[in-house]
Amino acid sequence: MPERALEGVKVLDLTHHISGPYCTKLLADFGAEVLKIERPGGDPARRMAPFLNDEADPEKSLVFAYLNTNKQSVTLNLKTDKGIQVLKSLVKESDVLVENFSPRVMASLGLDFESLQQINPGLVMTSISNFGQTGPYRDYKAADIVEYAMGGLMYISGAYDREPLKHAFNQAQFKAGTDGAAATLMATYHQRLTGEGQQVDVSIQEAVATGLRDVVNNFTYSGAVRRRQPNHSGDLSRLRASADGHLIPNPGIGAGLNWNSMVEFLDLPELADEKFDSPSARLVNAEELGRILDEYFIKQNKYERFYAAHEKRFIFGVIQSPEEVMADPQFEARNYFVDIGHPVLGTLKYPGAPFEMSGTPWEARAAAPSLGQHNQEVFGQRLGHSSEQLVQMRALQII
Amino acid sequence: MPGPLEGVRIVEMGQLIAIPFAMKMLADMGAQVIRLESTGRLESYRSDSVYQNDVSGEFWNKGANFYEQNRNKLGVTLDLSKPEGLQILKDLVSVADLFSENFTPRVIKNFGLEYEDLKKIKPDIIMVSSTGYGFYGPWANFGATGPATEGAAGLAYQTAYIGGNPVMAEIPYTDYTSGEHTVFAVMAALMHRLRTGQGQFIDISQTQATSSTIPEILMDFSANGRSGPRMGNQDTAMSPHGCYPCQGDDRWITIAVATDGQWQAVCRVLGQDGWAADTRFEDSLSRWKNRGELDALIGPVTSSWDAHDLMHALQKKGVAAGAVFDSKDLLFDPHLGARGFYEVVTHHDSTGIPPLPYAGRPWKLSKTPAVPSKAAPLMGEHNTLILSELLGKTANEMAVLEESGIIGYGPITPRPVQRPSLDEQVRQGRMQRYETDFEEQVRKAFRG
Repeated sequence: MPERALEGVKVLDLTHHISGPYCTKLLADFGAEVLKIERPGGDPARRMAPFLNDEADPEKSLVFAYLNTNKQSVTLNLKTDKGIQVLKSLVKESDVLVENFSPRVMASLGLDFESLQQINPGLVMTSISNFGQTGPYRDYKAADIVEYAMGGLMYISGAYDREPLKHAFNQAQFKAGTDGAAATLMATYHQRLTGEGQQVDVSIQEAVATGLRDVVNNFTYSGAVRRRQPNHSGDLSRLRASADGHLIPNPGIGAGLNWNSMVEFLDLPELADEKFDSPSARLVNAEELGRILDEYFIKQNKYERFYAAHEKRFIFGVIQSPEEVMADPQFEARNYFVDIGHPVLGTLKYPGAPFEMSGTPWEARAAAPSLGQHNQEVFGQRLGHSSEQLVQMRALQII
Repeated sequence: MPGPLEGVRIVEMGQLIAIPFAMKMLADMGAQVIRLESTGRLESYRSDSVYQNDVSGEFWNKGANFYEQNRNKLGVTLDLSKPEGLQILKDLVSVADLFSENFTPRVIKNFGLEYEDLKKIKPDIIMVSSTGYGFYGPWANFGATGPATEGAAGLAYQTAYIGGNPVMAEIPYTDYTSGEHTVFAVMAALMHRLRTGQGQFIDISQTQATSSTIPEILMDFSANGRSGPRMGNQDTAMSPHGCYPCQGDDRWITIAVATDGQWQAVCRVLGQDGWAADTRFEDSLSRWKNRGELDALIGPVTSSWDAHDLMHALQKKGVAAGAVFDSKDLLFDPHLGARGFYEVVTHHDSTGIPPLPYAGRPWKLSKTPAVPSKAAPLMGEHNTLILSELLGKTANEMAVLEESGIIGYGPITPRPVQRPSLDEQVRQGRMQRYETDFEEQVRKAFRG
């Protein structure tokens, strides 16, 4: 059995939907023991599309299946005293608790950090929320598009002359989930060194606003407000249409580019002109350059230009469809997509390791659990409830 | 107060964002990060977006992006093309916990700086390489930018207006996605080393990290063999769900309605009793089915509202709504302000840059907060500190290193990028506007 980076880290996972589950998935996939506590109706992500064959079954949500690999699932009704009591006994033996409820919820259940710390002084409690645990927007509602807007990515995304456009699906949630996993480990690292637990407050809005490069600095450095860029731009890092899709004909980084070699590669002698031969000149003559490049690339094949460019060490990029991604020879060489067998979904290819670790590899040990799959094991064997007690807890809708 | 990573020493051979951003996050939390730079091959973020667009003098100490990505680091220049320079790097590795870099594998192999090489110098070293497509495989040596990996990963393909072409954000977006995963990966490796004493090699593929955040697309293709339609700002379940015009030039609001109660609240706030009673929009299924008609109705009504006023009015009624924040909205946002998200950093006197606010981190640790912010280093600012005090070079040896160009304090061939004037940038549409009293505005908000 390979070594696991997070061997021995016990995580109590009270998360739902995407941001929290991605955080605990990262922890679980690298070896932490993650116990997912679901409300009796299950994580709402179980009802999230897409489903296998569009069958809206709680065990067939594909995003849920992806987000919950390597976790155990128990059901627990936190609106009952007994449910809270069971949860607290689990807190006692955990290193980490992760939750992503609205900021008021944990406190209303008597599960605020101060109370939990009395049970377990070494506990790391990570809370992921839309706007953080403090501040005037703390209780504001959000969806991914709202986080995009208030995190500053939306304004600079999309076409110059249209409404801003967000990235597809749930990028803000994934950013916050990744940040949450990193910050959780920082606190756990400290805990392993000192025994001291602490609270980790992760804001999805700030997860977006942390990654904007110079959007804010354009203002603090020059008073300028950056916006979505016009299509006629000559910026070489921009996407351009090819005959069969899109590519990004970026020759290389900044000032060091030998422009003549690019002109030669494209076989466009009209570009051999001082109007275009330096980054500063290209910025001034952006519109004309953009038109010439557009007219050229629309007649090209994207992969042909992509591979030819890399032979010359020009760092072109190619836009791949999902089908092309899954057939990508680089992903294939790195075994990125992995087969995972699931009792209801069958065996499917899943996106695998987000990165590789030589000593403690990413692992798919177990498919996402069915709802309450581990009730017997956790409540019975681990916490020592008898089968009679389990029957009673089920009858009282505690589990 | 020390951060949680006090005592962790990192040698960084980074460039641009992917590794510098991740190492900044670790530096913020207390790690000592020694950022290596070359005087021969100037980091392009040093020569672009300089303060007040003024490229005279030591412009390489005035670049916005360099300051943004390198807070709290120590700066050392080193010419790695000379054996003495490479030896110094190895000496630094011998006293480091982590070596991080984001060059192509070809470069790292040429320098003899692969994990197997470094392990001989420091058996428990952790090494992290961040590349566009991963450290091995047929595309390993293909250089990449953020847009390229956003394309390769499958994210760009699906981001488009309804029925339109792919669109990307105006930043190297995936540098951040992979940078966030890099911070996590380093922490996982540090946890493992703490327990076992063993180092290892972390191979970050910026494309893989990004593909890992789009299961909606890839799992659907994997299971159902299809690529979903390009939906613009629409959602697969919610409606209305979109971005609507507001009062003013290029002002917008986003609204996402999940329940019938929220829909009724939207109708009340916007004063549209007719919509509330319209059977086409009575429940979430019918709203979703008629979402095109609904979106067409909403825009003309929101356009008489101020975006921020409408956001607060809708939020008061429990509706997820957010103004589309531009740079100024972000910088002066009262919520981010109350949370202390921006941190004021003092710059070296020689730069002429006043203290300025920079974005902080998306997490707050209650017991071990971030260390107080220090500006990114001037070129070579910590040559003496690191080489003399840490590696024990004498004054004489330092002089020889400088003489032979192994270390230095500025680029060998200074080539700043001169941006067009702000008027020209506004004319081209790159900037929405500019405000000449920005220094005053920033000072008032952040330095009383």
